[in-house]
Amino acid sequence: MNLISTRLLKFFVFLGLTWLMNAGQDLLAQSPATVVRGTIVTEKGVPLEGATIKVNNPKSQETYSVASNERGLFEFRTLTAGVTYNFTVSHIGYASKSIRGFLVKQNENNSLLVRMSEGSNDLDQYVVVGYGTQKRGDLTGAVTQVSGEVLQDRPSPNISRSLEGIVPNLNISMSDGKPIRNPAYNIRGLTSIGAGGSASALVLIDGVSGDPSLLNPDDVESITVLKDAASAAIYGARGAFGVVLITTKSAKKGKTLMNFNSSYSINQKTVTPKLVNDGYTWGKAYADSYNAWYDYKTPAGTINGMFPNTDAGFDSLQARTTNPSLPKVTVDPATGKYLYYGSTNWIQQLYRDNTPATDNSLSLSGSNQNADFYISGRYYDQGGVFRYDPDHFKRINLRAKGDINVSSWFTLSDNIDFNTYNYFYPINNNKVPVWANFATNLNPLVVLTNPDGTLTPQSYSSVGDLYTGNNTSTTKQLFFRNTVSFNADIIRNLLSLKGDFTYANTNNTVAGIYRPVTYSQGPGMTASNTGNQLSQATAITSYYATNLYASAHKDFGPHSVKLLAGMNIEDQRFDSTFIQRDGIIDPNQPNINLLNGTNYVLSGGGNEWTIVGLFFRANYAYKDKYLVEINGRYDGSSKFPSYSRFGFFPSLSAGWMLSKESFMDATKGWMDNLKIRASVGSLGNGQIRPYLFDPLMTVQKPSTAQNISINGVIPTYTSNPNVIPSGLTWEKSTTVDGGIDASFLQNRLRFSFDYYIRYSTGNFTSGQPLPAVFGAAVPNGNNANLKTSGWEFSPSWHSNITKDLSFTIGIVVSDNTSVITRFYNPTGVLPAPYTLTPSTYYKGMHPGEIWGFQTEGLFQSQQDISTHADQSYFTVSNSNVLMPGDIKFADISHKGVINNGQNTLADHGDLKILGNATPRYLFGVNLGATWKRISIAAFFQGVGKQNWWPGVEAGNFWGQYNRPYESMPAYMMKDVWSTDHPNAYYPRYRGYVALSGTRELAVVQSRYLQNAAYIRLKNLNVSYSLPAEWCNKFKITGAKIYFTGQNMFTLSPLHKYAANFDPEVINGADPEVNAGSGNGYSYPMLKTFTAGINLTF
Amino acid sequence: MKVSKQIILSFLVAGAFIAAATLQGCSKYLDKEPFTTLNPGEAFQNAGDLQLYTNSFYVQQMPSAKTIFSGDNTSDYISGNNPPTLMTAQVSANNPIDGWSRSTAQSGSWPELRNINYFLQNNINPAIPDSIRRSYTGIARFFRAWWYFNMVRQFGNVPWVGSALSTTDSSLYKTQDPRTLVMDSIEADLDFAIANAPRAKDNSCSMITKWTALALKSRVGLFEGSFRKYHTELGLAGSAATWFNYAVDASNTLISSGLYKLHTTGTPQSDYRAVFTTSTPWSDEIILAYVYNDGLKLWHNANAYFTSPTLGNRTSPIKSFIDTYLNKDGSRFTDQPNYDTISFVNEMKNRDLRLQQSVRCNGYKYSTGVSAPPDYSFTFTGYQPLKFNVDDPAINLNSQNNNSIPIFRYAEVLLNLAEAKEELGSLSSTDWNNTIGLLRSRAGISNTSMPVTADPYMAQYFMNTITDPVLLEIRRERGVELMLEGFRFDDIRRWKMGPLMNMPYNGVYVPQLSTPYAMNGDGVLNVSFVTATPTSGTIKGVYYYLIDNKTVKLTQGASGNIIWLANIPRVWDDKMYYNPIPSSEIVLNPNLKQNPGW
Repeated sequence: MNLISTRLLKFFVFLGLTWLMNAGQDLLAQSPATVVRGTIVTEKGVPLEGATIKVNNPKSQETYSVASNERGLFEFRTLTAGVTYNFTVSHIGYASKSIRGFLVKQNENNSLLVRMSEGSNDLDQYVVVGYGTQKRGDLTGAVTQVSGEVLQDRPSPNISRSLEGIVPNLNISMSDGKPIRNPAYNIRGLTSIGAGGSASALVLIDGVSGDPSLLNPDDVESITVLKDAASAAIYGARGAFGVVLITTKSAKKGKTLMNFNSSYSINQKTVTPKLVNDGYTWGKAYADSYNAWYDYKTPAGTINGMFPNTDAGFDSLQARTTNPSLPKVTVDPATGKYLYYGSTNWIQQLYRDNTPATDNSLSLSGSNQNADFYISGRYYDQGGVFRYDPDHFKRINLRAKGDINVSSWFTLSDNIDFNTYNYFYPINNNKVPVWANFATNLNPLVVLTNPDGTLTPQSYSSVGDLYTGNNTSTTKQLFFRNTVSFNADIIRNLLSLKGDFTYANTNNTVAGIYRPVTYSQGPGMTASNTGNQLSQATAITSYYATNLYASAHKDFGPHSVKLLAGMNIEDQRFDSTFIQRDGIIDPNQPNINLLNGTNYVLSGGGNEWTIVGLFFRANYAYKDKYLVEINGRYDGSSKFPSYSRFGFFPSLSAGWMLSKESFMDATKGWMDNLKIRASVGSLGNGQIRPYLFDPLMTVQKPSTAQNISINGVIPTYTSNPNVIPSGLTWEKSTTVDGGIDASFLQNRLRFSFDYYIRYSTGNFTSGQPLPAVFGAAVPNGNNANLKTSGWEFSPSWHSNITKDLSFTIGIVVSDNTSVITRFYNPTGVLPAPYTLTPSTYYKGMHPGEIWGFQTEGLFQSQQDISTHADQSYFTVSNSNVLMPGDIKFADISHKGVINNGQNTLADHGDLKILGNATPRYLFGVNLGATWKRISIAAFFQGVGKQNWWPGVEAGNFWGQYNRPYESMPAYMMKDVWSTDHPNAYYPRYRGYVALSGTRELAVVQSRYLQNAAYIRLKNLNVSYSLPAEWCNKFKITGAKIYFTGQNMFTLSPLHKYAANFDPEVINGADPEVNAGSGNGYSYPMLKTFTAGINLTF
Repeated sequence: MKVSKQIILSFLVAGAFIAAATLQGCSKYLDKEPFTTLNPGEAFQNAGDLQLYTNSFYVQQMPSAKTIFSGDNTSDYISGNNPPTLMTAQVSANNPIDGWSRSTAQSGSWPELRNINYFLQNNINPAIPDSIRRSYTGIARFFRAWWYFNMVRQFGNVPWVGSALSTTDSSLYKTQDPRTLVMDSIEADLDFAIANAPRAKDNSCSMITKWTALALKSRVGLFEGSFRKYHTELGLAGSAATWFNYAVDASNTLISSGLYKLHTTGTPQSDYRAVFTTSTPWSDEIILAYVYNDGLKLWHNANAYFTSPTLGNRTSPIKSFIDTYLNKDGSRFTDQPNYDTISFVNEMKNRDLRLQQSVRCNGYKYSTGVSAPPDYSFTFTGYQPLKFNVDDPAINLNSQNNNSIPIFRYAEVLLNLAEAKEELGSLSSTDWNNTIGLLRSRAGISNTSMPVTADPYMAQYFMNTITDPVLLEIRRERGVELMLEGFRFDDIRRWKMGPLMNMPYNGVYVPQLSTPYAMNGDGVLNVSFVTATPTSGTIKGVYYYLIDNKTVKLTQGASGNIIWLANIPRVWDDKMYYNPIPSSEIVLNPNLKQNPGW
């Protein structure tokens, strides 16, 4: 805490200084001055709030700016009488207006009235780009900017959730609903299959790399995505796969504002699994599926250990179904153990129906000519989904920004970001996600507690940890960042110099508590598990960044030239420690110091890296019609061996403003502007792990699987180092991009289209395969190439029907596909069976492709089986005896034997490509309408095409086909094969066939491949702004109430056979526990209903 | 707040110079060495470093409990869910058995060899005393010998790689070396280990010493001697005696040290089983074990493996093998005319006491006092393994076996010595008494004298290829003493007795169908053999074993011995003496020769 208090102190000192300077400047400003007032109105005469009014003295080059208030008024108090000034008024969505040569007169009522024409031109709007801003009209690269408004009124633990589907080809995939889920930002599809692995986009917050999940959504001013190599080139090696620039809010000029936002939300699961809850149905199916796997000759002795598999046992169960008042638990007199005859609805038992979340934020900003400040804070609290020991997420954000005009040409700024979160969640001792435990151990026969209140053996082993609250984990993160920067106008309107220095520190701890859980098998037969330990993982990241750059701008008649050059140094060190020990002395006081066990784990880790870069950008424009931009960066990175540490990465882009050509005059009436763009650039990929090129001899304890003792202790050991690759160089991504931007009908209709090809070359993958006698992983080299191509299209329509009614529709669609163009795989081995991260590739492969067998149908008779090709490759039962009702695979190769051949491209037997798991045609649709003070906005998001293979262990899909003791999806039973139901979807009822290897349902096949396309109403928002007269009564500037629904409904073909899945939660299991436990075993996706209020003072 | 433009400008200019200077020197600035790992220059500095490295050999190469107790799943006398994988059409050069290129704990995987060779190449730091370096090199060479022995067992001819290869090394593409070269190299490694590895006996039974190396040499010698003798097609029979003599000499050196003996406490009813059920290994008999321990949370799952219908293979020993256990008085069980129609309860009586310590019978009870007869949902033949199981039924469920599993034990050395000597024709009756005799007396057998006539049952078991009565008895003894310890398939290979793998999977004698029996001899009925599961009138606690007359049948139809997996033919092919070389490896190195027949 000492560290934090020091930082808080620093923060307050800074605030104090800012305030003092403010006050001081006010006193200093007592020079003879004349007031200039003015009003900004729209064409219809409505006062326009928030317009920026800039005043400039052309002689002294003094510049001030203020903003208009809610009545459209502004005033300047410091202008000198007798001087001629130039005024420029700008507002987003309106054409800028200039008033040149306005003479300020002494003792006169100097006033201005400026009428702004609406929506006529947004080309003057500024867009954030690398190390600066550019007018939208001057852009030559593929850049998309959205305003922070997209995050408004959408309470969420993380802004990434709200960004999904907003920007075309900014691909954010929320794999589940966990509050701490923090997805990687991908731009334009598969990046690298080598060193980068999942090389993601560089995310910069106020120009410094950072984690967007930590931001207060109310602080975000804009989000800019630099997609092509040309616009990202200035970031060099870390921008190889695109850059996301997030800019936080600053003080609005000329006024003091306080904004308060408060909301209350109710969260619910998007999907509530529908399972068979009737014990009798489940028990019978258990007996059937078990016996069927053993070829109907080894019936189960008991129904999963709960009661004997006899008629008498089932009679007792049925009696309880008809008469629910009979006790569900009895005691077997022979063994003294409990027998269970439950019909439990576990979903209802374990989940809460509604979980609350609250979001409160406050921001304060103000300015005068010499200083401004912006301070904000937020507290977000989200409750968990479980009924017992629910998880709980809390986040606090604080931000303070301030600028001081130390002198007329020098501005000093500081930007402090502090935030912390705390996430408590229940865990299982067996390192299996709690959802997988639900599915595999909690069948309806199980009851939660015995008559004496103790846990039953089954409930203990599956949810005992959760129910008792004895096994928990708490993640705490503290993040602090400070950026101090300056801006010096060395030569006014020609040359300026900027610099900044950032220090950031992230401190993350995860504390785990594992306390024994007791249960009883019968009266007086209690036992408990041996889980009895504490663990603590600590990770600290320190990061320093320095930027220093100069920019110059000069117009020579119709020629406009801009230059920018600078340097960047960044340095990061990461240290982690993990401690674990068993033997909790007092379960009520779990503390690292109160342990006496003999089993320890003490381990650490860490890495550090440094990058330095020199960069430049040159823009040239002729009459704003022909635009050329050149970027370049010379980068050095500690992650590479000394001989290939530096790289130079250039890019070139150009734009042609066709609509400004005289030959386009005929279109002026309906087309506002038309621009075509093209760019090409090449960047090295520096987003790689450090030490990839060092021979490492790790010192470690054996893994659990290899655990061994030597002379009574578990040994520490080291072993031979990895073989170091030689002659390595950077992975490169070269992007060619072409685009069109156009707007029509007074900017009511707009669209932007881009097509690109990205060549990712020299991917750092394994080299020429070596014989096994080599005895080590084949060293990686720059051995693979990859080509990704795609497009983005974003049309929008904005229209005012009447003075009071307007509506907008915006669509974003994007697509990309990748193909491997080079890979060392001389034998053409196929990467089957399908996984998300293939074990190998081959030339011509489309990553994500799913190889599998074609399913012909189900065998209907013994004769059908005997006349069909040999398919003994697949296991259908314990002794592998095919029967009617089993799956009939197609003999594609016509060899009479169905198998995977040699599993190579040349001989793949009866395997074929069934589909592709890569999401295609990602789209977002924004609909908005405003009528007077009421606004309605709806946002739909979805995926147009995507295949999904449920995979082994996905019990929510396979039910008892996976394991007889698995819970049963309710919708499954009516679609199981029998002689009476020959056209069923599922085969002959049997356990264990979906479990592993080449079992009948474990092999990838066409019949059970799912279409995981979906469309989802991500956000529906209704807001009402209170009339000004009401606001005035309460002395507030503005007030708004709103209602928001998120993830309210989803349509997906997936739900035909997998209604228990949310289409966004299908890949893997809870990654914090064990991602390999089976698809779908993740924190549920949540739908949210929110009511909120927003007040401005 | 007036700030001079000049001051700020000069700061900026100075800053720019500093930045430029930093960039000048930035190649140095960009040197960031890993700080949480060793690099090769730091890892061979002192004795502690060497120990740290050699620990990796244990971690990588010690066979786990499961490797050992499931090792005989591929053998003549164990049946299970399915025939041995090796004998199914699933195994081919395209779909080989693990061992060559994939890394599993016991079977050869080349990274383990590279790890040893890297150590041998780098353990040359003169700052460390020579004797210490030699001691650790001895351990490393022990592991290399063990590794190569495992490869030769599986693949026959393999290339000898004596160094950590570079990516361009021509040795990557060499063909297999002659068996003699590889075996001689193993022998050289073992001799070095015997001379240099630590001499002190390790009472924790978990470290490599001179004595472990001798035990391995005894095993290797017997294997290679008999392999060369019986596999006459190799043309190496002339050197078989050399290898038998290696076994004899190594065994004798170990025995004469007096450091080891058979573990006996004078209670033959439990002495044998105790070797496999205690957490702290009996260091009088055990030379090396995989040591499991509750305190360290090191557990295996032998109980669960043999008492779960799904976890293991449902390991079911066959009756033809169970019949080889002698009677307690030393007479042969199979000499009685009706030996194959005796009921289970009776056949278990008055036998070699190792039988009741190896399979459930004769009123076996859990430590809770609950009777635990052979459970027919876990065994197909009626014989349910008990050997590595502990008596606490809670362990069946929680998979927390703490009993250490022997890897090298004195009994094996005695068996190696007896067999090698008999193969050399030099086994005296004193030798007999000091080897087989000792094992039999520990098992409570009263007459342990050396046999003079060949047992016709054993002779027939080995397809009448062996007539030497003593050799037949040694083979019987080896089977009985080392049951389920993973030796059997190697024995079949070296004896060239592959056709044994075709033995029918026979089980207990069933006098009649649809009659409940009390298999634990305690009168509590627990199994009934039926042709259809009864729909009513079932008796509590009775398991209804379905004789479907397809997968499982009785020899006489309505009565007789159980024959399991009767419908799945098993055909031994001599190619199975060696595992196939993966065809993917031959693609990568065309100089590798595929083993014959694959």
